[in-house]
Amino acid sequence: MERIRARDERALADLYDRHADLLYSVILRIVRGAAEAEEVLQETWLQVWRTAGSYDASRGAVGAWLVTVARSRAIDRLRSEGSRRRVESESTLDPPAPTADAADEASQRQRSERVTAALGQLETHHRQVLELAYYSGLSQVEIAGRVGAPLGTVKSWTRQALLKLGSLVPPEDFS
Amino acid sequence: MAHQDEHLILCAGFVVGDLSDEERRLFEAHLDEGCAVCRAEIERLGRAAYLVASAAPIHRAPTAVRARVLDAVRAEAAADRASRPTQPLAMAPRRRPLAWAWGAAALLALAAGVWHWRVTADIERQLAATRSEVAALEAKLHIEEEWTAFWSAPHAREIRLEPTPDGSKELVAKVTYDPDSKRAVVALSNFTPPAGKDYQLWAITASGPASLGVIRADGAGNALIRLTDVGAAEAPAAFAVSLEAAGGAPTPHAPAGPVVLVGKVGV
Repeated sequence: MERIRARDERALADLYDRHADLLYSVILRIVRGAAEAEEVLQETWLQVWRTAGSYDASRGAVGAWLVTVARSRAIDRLRSEGSRRRVESESTLDPPAPTADAADEASQRQRSERVTAALGQLETHHRQVLELAYYSGLSQVEIAGRVGAPLGTVKSWTRQALLKLGSLVPPEDFS
Repeated sequence: MAHQDEHLILCAGFVVGDLSDEERRLFEAHLDEGCAVCRAEIERLGRAAYLVASAAPIHRAPTAVRARVLDAVRAEAAADRASRPTQPLAMAPRRRPLAWAWGAAALLALAAGVWHWRVTADIERQLAATRSEVAALEAKLHIEEEWTAFWSAPHAREIRLEPTPDGSKELVAKVTYDPDSKRAVVALSNFTPPAGKDYQLWAITASGPASLGVIRADGAGNALIRLTDVGAAEAPAAFAVSLEAAGGAPTPHAPAGPVVLVGKVGV
């Protein structure tokens, strides 16, 4: 991130190569349209380039910050009027999973499967609040209304869900 | 504000991003005060929140985006460099008679130089932005021209997908496929999946099925999808649709759920 702050384009290219597939996958799950996901991915990386100075390492790892930027832009897009119009008038297809690098693909798939299995072990209401927060862009107040639970309970469930998930996944899957 | 137990609860909402604006503002102010307890909690919960991202089915980011991002970034970096002065702006004046006159002349020259530098930097920045926009528009135009040609391709063929015993006549799907350009357009109706499920499109080749992706229809269940590189490795003998768990089949090489529609590519 220091190199990006110093306006080193190659540093951004390196970071892009390490994280772009994951960010695109998250964006695609939120906006649900390949064309929109492409635009949001591009906006995300330009924001990373322009706001690298705002990254604070004491508030989490680079990967987590990148995912936060991508989710934030995707959720903004999801909420915008223009997006709703386009989703209604167009439709899309999630592109296929990568096939070019079989070893990389297998590793990513296994990791995804382990995390999915861990999510499956969570209590249903824990998993539900986590997924609603992560992919729908709903606030905790809105989630409380959606699941029919008091706001304080939703806050507590969110924390418990993250703690449980963290305990179920091997440490090597965290980075 | 000193650390309180409620702050620990806010840490979870902070990392998944579902705090209200007011809560986030107050919590960030608390973090800015340097609360070590909350920073450690954010580190711990943030790692778990990052895992949720890993559970999304992995898709390769389109290569065109990388090129567009790096082009834009290079243009911005070039503009930044152009706007930085490379020479010292002033030198210590030598003590001579009429030094004030030389000083005034130097100040005038300096003001003119700064003005010129600012104007040049602005123009270069605008030029870089315009070049970037033109490049993006040219790329879009090129893509649309290729799709216009698709509809008059001499070898393009139309494949209507028929329901299997696991399918339904409500599902309507038609694929227009051009083996020369390896492009296809898929038109779908009534493709609203049951709760917790997704429809997935497949190309069936001699080596087996290859996923073309999970179908995301609009609110009415309709979809019109443009695909490139269809059958680039191996020509498809048929197209099919399967009903999968949400997110699609675990592997892009075989449906896990029932195949609901199938249509052979004619010769």
